[in-house]
Amino acid sequence: MVKYDLDLLKKCANNLMFDMSNDQYNVLLKEFDVLTKQMEVLGEIDGVNDVEPMTFPYPVYTTYLREDVAETPLSKKEALRNAKDVEDGQIVLPKVVG
Amino acid sequence: MNFEAVIGIEIHVEMKTNSKSFSGGPVKFGQEPNTLVAPLDMAFPGTMPILNKQVVINAIRVSNALNMTIDHELWFDRKNYFYSDLPKGFQITQDKRPIGSNGSLTVKLSDGRLKTIEIERLHIEEDTCKQLHLDDITLVDYNRAGTPLIEIVSRPNIRSGEEAMKYVETIRQIVVFAGVSDGKMEEGSMRCDVNVSVRPFGSDKFGTKVEVKNLNSVANVRTAIDYEVERQTKLILSGGAVEQETRRFDEKTQTTIMMRKKTDAVDYKYFTEPNILPIRLSDEFIQNAIDTCPELASSKQERYTSNGLSDEEADQMLQNLLMADYLDECIKVNPKHTKLFWNWITGEATAFLNKKFQSFDKFKVTPDNLEKLINMVENGTLSMKMARQVFEVMCEENKDAEQIASDLGLKQDSNEDEIKKIVEATVDEFPQAVVDFKAGKDRAVGFIVGQIMKKTKGKVNPQIASKLVLEALKSR
Amino acid sequence: MYLGKTVEELHELLVSKKVTPLELTKEAIEALKKEETNAIETICEKEALEFAATLVEPEVDNLFWGIPYVAKDNFSTKDILTTASSEILKDYVPVYDATVITKLKEAKAVLIAKSTLDELAMGGTGTTGHKGTTYNPYDPTHTYKIGGSSCGSASLTAQGIVPFALGSDTGDSVRKPASYAGLVGFKPTWGRISRYGLFPFAPSLDHVAYFTRSVKDSAALLEVLAGEDLAHDATCSVKPVEKYTEGLTGDLKGKKIARIKEIDESVKDKVILEGLDKVQKALEEAGATVEEVNFDQKLLAAVYPAYMIISCAEATSNNANLDGIKFGPRVGEASSYQDVMMNARTNGFSELIRRRFVIGSYSLFKANQEELFLRAQKVRRLIVNKTNEILSQYDAILTPCGGIVRNPFASNSDDVSDRLDIHTIIVENHLGIGNFGGFPSISVPMGLDNGFPFACNIMTKVFTEKETLNIAYAIEKKLGLKNLSTMEVK
Repeated sequence: MVKYDLDLLKKCANNLMFDMSNDQYNVLLKEFDVLTKQMEVLGEIDGVNDVEPMTFPYPVYTTYLREDVAETPLSKKEALRNAKDVEDGQIVLPKVVG
Repeated sequence: MNFEAVIGIEIHVEMKTNSKSFSGGPVKFGQEPNTLVAPLDMAFPGTMPILNKQVVINAIRVSNALNMTIDHELWFDRKNYFYSDLPKGFQITQDKRPIGSNGSLTVKLSDGRLKTIEIERLHIEEDTCKQLHLDDITLVDYNRAGTPLIEIVSRPNIRSGEEAMKYVETIRQIVVFAGVSDGKMEEGSMRCDVNVSVRPFGSDKFGTKVEVKNLNSVANVRTAIDYEVERQTKLILSGGAVEQETRRFDEKTQTTIMMRKKTDAVDYKYFTEPNILPIRLSDEFIQNAIDTCPELASSKQERYTSNGLSDEEADQMLQNLLMADYLDECIKVNPKHTKLFWNWITGEATAFLNKKFQSFDKFKVTPDNLEKLINMVENGTLSMKMARQVFEVMCEENKDAEQIASDLGLKQDSNEDEIKKIVEATVDEFPQAVVDFKAGKDRAVGFIVGQIMKKTKGKVNPQIASKLVLEALKSR
Repeated sequence: MYLGKTVEELHELLVSKKVTPLELTKEAIEALKKEETNAIETICEKEALEFAATLVEPEVDNLFWGIPYVAKDNFSTKDILTTASSEILKDYVPVYDATVITKLKEAKAVLIAKSTLDELAMGGTGTTGHKGTTYNPYDPTHTYKIGGSSCGSASLTAQGIVPFALGSDTGDSVRKPASYAGLVGFKPTWGRISRYGLFPFAPSLDHVAYFTRSVKDSAALLEVLAGEDLAHDATCSVKPVEKYTEGLTGDLKGKKIARIKEIDESVKDKVILEGLDKVQKALEEAGATVEEVNFDQKLLAAVYPAYMIISCAEATSNNANLDGIKFGPRVGEASSYQDVMMNARTNGFSELIRRRFVIGSYSLFKANQEELFLRAQKVRRLIVNKTNEILSQYDAILTPCGGIVRNPFASNSDDVSDRLDIHTIIVENHLGIGNFGGFPSISVPMGLDNGFPFACNIMTKVFTEKETLNIAYAIEKKLGLKNLSTMEVK
């Protein structure tokens, strides 16, 4: 497991494209302490390493696949309705480099 | 010290399905920006992915062509990262369980050697948005977002630019002939990233690898790799070290140029996509996808050569799927005329279509009608020259070949009695020819035939004329 | 005056033309405007009145014809502002309707408002929405929580303004507030109701759920909402929808019901244990046998940390689409796309949410997955296996919804803390088992203490909603705690 500290949490937050106040990083650090300790305890539960991780709540599968038929797309107006910066029917961003 | 190159290739193939991987948004190219968007493509909250059946069929077909093991249960994962062209903030892909695994592809090199390239995996995923970079802003178009992709990842057992080129070329042919993609590298519907490193011969360690991007033609794959291998070898020999970096191929200078140094590998935080249940594929479904796959180039090649084309002639046909499709229709009409069809297709037909900037799907001449024309030449009704005249009209409007010939008054005289009369008269006219012939000068035959053609404006069947002239000269 | 009535009662009035949908809608909207618990994001007045006005000829066989309802503001509603009570979506107007919204529209129920929630449904206190705290209508002193995250829907149903309201339930977000608000809160099997259009928190745990004031209304509503949705949500089951209302006999002859020893032992308020005993008696009178079983204290204590890790991990990914580019606010100066995202997300998410995302992201790191995310998923399986083991011998599990009747705001927040004792952790989080295993789980009022309602919970095997509902129905019938609302209290 990667060792965490304030710097790592900050880096982690920035990778998620946001920042927090120093106070919050400290609150988070405490939360990390508690949670990782709890997770350590979970690692000691009988049989925890004898089972597969569970994604779906019960054994389930499907055979359904969508037919390859195009649906009517959104109108351009609708598609862009919630975008704040639009030019020539496209969403504007500061120039993306790299 | 001798070096060997270690090359691995990742190929992204954009599919030409009707709709996107996980939404019903239409897949089309060259449309007005942001007019092909379903709610999922713009990642509107609450939308959920529903996998496209054709995407699975296509992936099965390509996996099969690449001799891969096909998974009977599909699982998807999220690849999480933030980028301006990634609407959801993750890409749905298959990290843990690709639909195709452990394949191989054998290619023929120019020296006749066969090389088998191992393929690690083939998986289904989705494309990102298209960005248009202007001077100070970037415009984002979501039309491409969600377009189906397959990614094919080779193992690093490619050893030269030529092997790489053949590999990419063959995969391109497979996806085009299987109807999966238009395979246009120059337009980005097939994209190659190449990892190149070098190491001393005999070493089993890998050197530092460099990723090369922006390879927009099959030829560039070779050029870029050859350049890169040379660059790295020189660097090492001069005491330098290869750095881990991403480079791009520069068309102008035909070299690779550094884009960025590789920093820490990005952690994509993959996890199972909880909005797509495991999808079970029955044996029947998989077999049916394989059985109904359009014929691939390798099979066409075999069929063409068994119908009398040379390897080179067959290859030429396989450069162009629409052309090959047309030939196939012709072969259905009369397989014995394969070579004759080939002649017309690669000759006059191609010349005509090139002039009109059209492709074979727009070609008006039906195979039936072309067969008629060929037969008219075969049975001597038309000379090749006449046939070309008829063909020109056929290209404009697919009128019956015989009708056109008759409208144009094009008909070769093949009536032996009629021709005999002309032959006798002509021989009479040129007694010197008889003398020459008797003296062993065979060219006298050609001379008389020439005179006959001149006299009849070429309407006499030259084979019959020759035969009769020979007889006439002998009998004098 | 038609407030405070159940769907069933309103239907009778509508069919006999004693009231029209328009009158009902108007009255409900007036009540919305006066309500004082801060439960509303948006009143859809214009849309609701227009739609209600088109409903003229009553549909006798359609229980929901002309019935006003509210939806939690994390259901996508075409052309109606949908904020998920988050600043990052404060001006987001969806381009499509969630499947449940469509189904209710087709049933001609009238959507009158979008209700508040804990921001992005990621909380259980009813305090973290961008509009501030939503209060419990049973507590004019504003001392005790209504719980969350479906706080607004709970409050508006408890006030009798609407007879039912849509919510979502990822850990206990409908079933817990149902307890504090004296409501029937039902979360059917994962995959029974389409999630298309429900803003995701953690898809493997998310459920569409809802509040009613009677079990019968709950059964009837499921008949409307359940069913396949292959065009939009392929995780939604194609199993046929049953006639849930026809299963409501109240007869439990031969049924075996389990009580979990470790959970009962963790209850703080004696009145809750007394309530459970009363429920047990009621069940026995209806023909069932009730027995105590052991679960495993360690496993029960593991529900909360496992839930935190799984839900935060999924949430950080689900909400990565909220980047300020396609929707959401563009804030401040930006000289790169990263700036656009940073500005939108730093200002758009409360600090609690941001902390949750860091936790989730960290547990998904390649180097951490084995010890965090995958371990949590393995613990999830152990807990579900244990539950299924019990459910293989019993028809249902009876538990309290929590350990205390009244939950003061001061007591605890959504922060991860080690100050809580194991009993509190167990009794306040065990409803998450229903999400881990996707089990149908229903909260039914079992008592009132000093005017504050509290509920028990019934959980059964997946896709046995008929069973869940019938047991709840038997409890409701025997205890007589049907159609509670603050109107009666007042």
